[in-house]
Amino acid sequence: MSCHTRPDGPPYAGGYGVNTPFGVIYGSNLTPDLKTGIGRWSLAAFTRAMHEGVSRDGDHLFPAFPYYAYTELSDGDVQALYAYLMTRRPVSATVPPSTLPFPLSVRFLQEGWKLLFFRNRRYQANPSKSAEWNRGAYLSEALSDCGGCHTPRNLLGGEKMRHVYAGAVVDGWIAPALTDANPSPLPWTADALFRYLRTGVSPLHGAATAATMTPVIRDGLALPVVSDSDVRAIALYFSDVDHARERATDLGAMMRKAVAISSHRSEEKYDSDAYLYHAACLSCHANAASGPLPARPELALNSALTLAEPANFIEPVLRGIGSRDGAPGLVMPAYAAALSDAEVARLAAYLRRTRTTLPPWKDLEKKVSAARRDLPYE
Amino acid sequence: MTTFTLNGRSVSVHSPPDSPLLWVIRDELGLTGTKFGCGIGFCGACTVHVSGRATRSCITPVASVAQAEVKTIEGLDPGGKHPLQIAWVELQVPQCGYCQPGQIMQAATLLKDYPDPDDAMINAVMAGNLCRCMTYLRIRKAIKLAAARMQERGAHG
Amino acid sequence: MGNAWRLGSGHLPSRRYFLISMASAGVILGYARSGLARAEALAVRTGRVHSPAELFEPTIWYAIDPDGNVTVNIIRAEMGQHVGTALARIVADELEADWSKVHIVMADSDPKWGEMVTGGSWSVWQSFPVLSRAGAAGRTALLEEGARLLGVRPYLCVARDGAVHAQGRSVPYGEIVARGHLRRAYTPEQLIRIPIKPPADRRLIGRNTQALDIPAKTNGQGRYGIDAAVEGMIYARPKVPPTRYGSKVLSIDDSAAKQVPGYIRSLALNDPSGTVPGWVMVYADSFVAANRAADRVRVRWKSGDAAHVSEGDLQRRAAELIADPGAGALVVNDPGLEAAFAIARKKIERAYTTSTVMHFALEPVNALAFERNGIFEIHTGNQWQTLILPVLAKALGRSQNTIVLRSYFLGGGFGRRLDGDYAVPAALASKAAARPVKMLCTREDDSRFDCPRSPSLQVLRMAFGNNGQVIAMDHQAAAGWPTAVMAPSFLLKDARGVPYDPFAIHGADHWYTVGAQRVRALRNDLADRTFRPGWLRSVGSGWINWALESFMDEAAQVAGIDPVDFRLRLLTGTGRNAGSAPNSVGGAHRQAAVLARVAEKAGWGSPLPKDTGLGVASSFGQERTMPTWVACVARVRVDRHSGRVTVEKLTLVVDAGTIVHPDGAAAQVEGGALWGLSMALFEGSEFVNGQPKDANLDTYRMLRMGDTPEVEIEFIPSTETPVGLGEPATTVVAPAIGNAIFAASGARVRDLPIRPVTVREALAQKA
Repeated sequence: MSCHTRPDGPPYAGGYGVNTPFGVIYGSNLTPDLKTGIGRWSLAAFTRAMHEGVSRDGDHLFPAFPYYAYTELSDGDVQALYAYLMTRRPVSATVPPSTLPFPLSVRFLQEGWKLLFFRNRRYQANPSKSAEWNRGAYLSEALSDCGGCHTPRNLLGGEKMRHVYAGAVVDGWIAPALTDANPSPLPWTADALFRYLRTGVSPLHGAATAATMTPVIRDGLALPVVSDSDVRAIALYFSDVDHARERATDLGAMMRKAVAISSHRSEEKYDSDAYLYHAACLSCHANAASGPLPARPELALNSALTLAEPANFIEPVLRGIGSRDGAPGLVMPAYAAALSDAEVARLAAYLRRTRTTLPPWKDLEKKVSAARRDLPYE
Repeated sequence: MTTFTLNGRSVSVHSPPDSPLLWVIRDELGLTGTKFGCGIGFCGACTVHVSGRATRSCITPVASVAQAEVKTIEGLDPGGKHPLQIAWVELQVPQCGYCQPGQIMQAATLLKDYPDPDDAMINAVMAGNLCRCMTYLRIRKAIKLAAARMQERGAHG
Repeated sequence: MGNAWRLGSGHLPSRRYFLISMASAGVILGYARSGLARAEALAVRTGRVHSPAELFEPTIWYAIDPDGNVTVNIIRAEMGQHVGTALARIVADELEADWSKVHIVMADSDPKWGEMVTGGSWSVWQSFPVLSRAGAAGRTALLEEGARLLGVRPYLCVARDGAVHAQGRSVPYGEIVARGHLRRAYTPEQLIRIPIKPPADRRLIGRNTQALDIPAKTNGQGRYGIDAAVEGMIYARPKVPPTRYGSKVLSIDDSAAKQVPGYIRSLALNDPSGTVPGWVMVYADSFVAANRAADRVRVRWKSGDAAHVSEGDLQRRAAELIADPGAGALVVNDPGLEAAFAIARKKIERAYTTSTVMHFALEPVNALAFERNGIFEIHTGNQWQTLILPVLAKALGRSQNTIVLRSYFLGGGFGRRLDGDYAVPAALASKAAARPVKMLCTREDDSRFDCPRSPSLQVLRMAFGNNGQVIAMDHQAAAGWPTAVMAPSFLLKDARGVPYDPFAIHGADHWYTVGAQRVRALRNDLADRTFRPGWLRSVGSGWINWALESFMDEAAQVAGIDPVDFRLRLLTGTGRNAGSAPNSVGGAHRQAAVLARVAEKAGWGSPLPKDTGLGVASSFGQERTMPTWVACVARVRVDRHSGRVTVEKLTLVVDAGTIVHPDGAAAQVEGGALWGLSMALFEGSEFVNGQPKDANLDTYRMLRMGDTPEVEIEFIPSTETPVGLGEPATTVVAPAIGNAIFAASGARVRDLPIRPVTVREALAQKA
């Protein structure tokens, strides 16, 4: 729905605009309206689109439409989805000429989830893994299309299949790698990932902030439709993909170290970069030695600071986080009108310098300035 | 139009979605206990609760609190008798008083997260709340007094 | 109003028009007086309203109603000192009132109050003689009438707890007011002759109570100027011109602002008073719109001639003035100074500087202005109504008696709101728009419109005789003069008739006996042309004591004497330093007493960890005519590598005479001391192109919670005249810290604020 529904618009009537490296694209109208929707589509045409990425009129859909994922959907599941969509209220709505429908059909996914049952006709189970693992893999690969965001695309927009889940840029945000290249200071264990996907926040990793990820959690994978066991299965699958168990060292020690870095240090009182952080950020982000609290995202443990690029730091600082994004109710103010580009850059550099051992980000001020140009207000 | 809950009551406001929450509360909804200090989130005078957490309302777009629960100093306690408010009066914390609603709202979140805060946590969580009269010594004492009473009450109740 | 608002399923009380409607209904105040401006009442009583005829008003300062409620009129601004409580305690103590029935009302401007000013830490000192006698007068009248009602002779009666008692019977004040024939009123001349109680009989003064204004400051009900509202008002945000003086508007381009919903128009103000030359007002139907529109309005100005002045220029001008022997006023000018220096066995000369400091009161300046029933009303928090009223009259082209300033809580004063200049553009904006206008500055506007503490340069010299005794001292100080710019009638003249700003030199005329003494005050004319130099908490004493008390330590070092002993030897209490009744009884001996006590209390001379040191400073506050004796010891730790200074503890001992409200007094000293610390280590801006460089908290640093050290305060018990408490502690902290840095590390710093780089350089210089 996130892709095929405008904010506050009629369900599935299309028009959601997403910024991609290829420009703004709009989700198409999936209501059974005859002229502007899919009302003239037969089940066969719909199945062909879902499985082969070929439109009713024979055109190839852009690969941004996740047929490459839906191809793994069973015929029965596709049939159920077709039936569901064809019984929605038709809405006449022509979407702007979009070149690319983008795979963020997460509400579609949620609504569809109700109708689906796992037959595993097309998906090939991995017999060396548990049933839960396979369930997670199926849900992730076939239905949730995690790779749609988290797998980098080649110049033509196709997923680079040799770099599955290696991370990608979506809508100005970075969808981090889900493999062992994941930059989180602490690996994503199945438990942490389950909590994150269920609530939008993991105390040891932070909250979902990206405008592109929060609908997945809030809508796509939300209760009551998507059960805990399904989300657990997805979490288990990815905790295997990222080799969390192998990477899990002494979590407690890593956490204590991170919190120690973050606490107020009086010797920093004269450092003008540290001052920005203390005056503007510390009230919400400070954590006690006992460990980070879910509502106090611990920046020393957050991949926003450890990614190769600063996008996931800059975006939430400028835009803030609304009550409907990230962890439910948790709001972050928008500093776009409060801090200059240079100040956001200094803040980013300071945190990168003090919270990680990674090389400094380059051209920070330019990147802040570019991100600011894409803000909805200003 | 943005709809949210203010001090327990649903409100719908017509300010543009990017209007700072502070001015919506003060000018459109008429509750003036929340103050304007710096306008850039560096002084804490504008602190309100969004979903129970201290938030700088001067740089929070009203659209981002859609459907959320917002609480101001006027709504912290119906009779103005939150343990922090009682401690604030008992220890005669305020001088000019302008920053104190923000200080109290921030301290409420501090005690929610850390019911028995040490000096380091008080320093950290209160770092964003400026008091130009420099009542910091009493703010610290009052936080500890309120914390002790709330814990005692919790232990007995 | 364009800002229509709608409620959801529930509804909210709208407090938007609370003030005006409540006031006009006469509910807030317990007594009604026709034509008198209504103000914020601190204690809202909802009881019945009494007509003036039903009240007992022996003086203008308070009234007692038939229910026994005592309402005290407070003409001082409430800006954190709980001044109303302190002043009401003075009245109530002499009146023998029941404290639970005492209420305070903040008065609006009215000529009958005399000078309305809140500053200089004067309030209690100035009000005590007047209010205590007013209270005593009321008690006398109530006692006589109470005796009559009880049918006994007055000498058999006592007044206590709001009633007159005799032979086991009593009649409460309210009943006396209701039943009696109280017609006595007192003129100021009569009041002066009324005796007050001996200190031993005081029942409220000197005892703690909860300040009456505090509950409203914890629940959001307290109303500040920024909260003032009236139906039909529009909002305005200024475009502040590039220079304080001489800016002219060339053109206004508001084409981009027109896209902001709610934007009304932009207008260059015409200001006959010359207070805000070159100001443009941007009007809108909400503050959000005015703020956004103002960001989009482009104004071209012809700026004044200070458009390129820098902090360096200001200090170079100060140095030129000090180098000119003929310049300035000789505030103290003993004969034999140069002769003493000529024969001196040893001499020391040192220079000290302080940087520009911003007021940064947390409530940005604002005012609501409108004309109603022939009266121009200005709703705003202000410290000196009497000063700004004539300016407003000139700006508006109307007589002062048709302008009223209505009082509100001040979201910080610190001297900023002594200058009511911000009322002028609001009034002009309302006049031009012919409707109520609420002008609100953003923080950045407020900073650019501030009257900052002037940078200063001071040169001090001391001469020692053959036995090492001090035989002469010379103190020269150059800075902007707030009083010369804003209230020239308050300037004083030296023996030759040369005018000077006493507030810019207070402190240099100290109580140390130093032989031939000279104090030269120099007006930094470039500063005064570039900006409005402000009175900022403790004014000149803030920079004078930095130099004086740092210098005393350097002199002690030259003399080879412990800094505390060195000062004590100079505090002989002889000659002009002997003190006099009523205000400075004991003179320098009382400064010696606080100094000795603070040294003892802070463990002066005891061993300390490495790189840790104690430093001392002492002062008499500001004015020799109302000295508040104060001494401070700072314990600091110096990080020699980085130059960072950590203040671990401040110990202060204060002798302010009678303490009316001990806990409130302690609060003032706590706040003052931490202000001193904030200015010592953090606060300091600089002029760049005619404007202070720092406009907001992203660059302007001040003390925060985590920077706050332990502070210990002691008051010397005293029944002497109560003097000021708001500022004295501010002045001793920075030099105590500077001296402690020297004790800890051997680094001598002479510039405020003390920055790590300065400490590092001083350490390198020493090595």
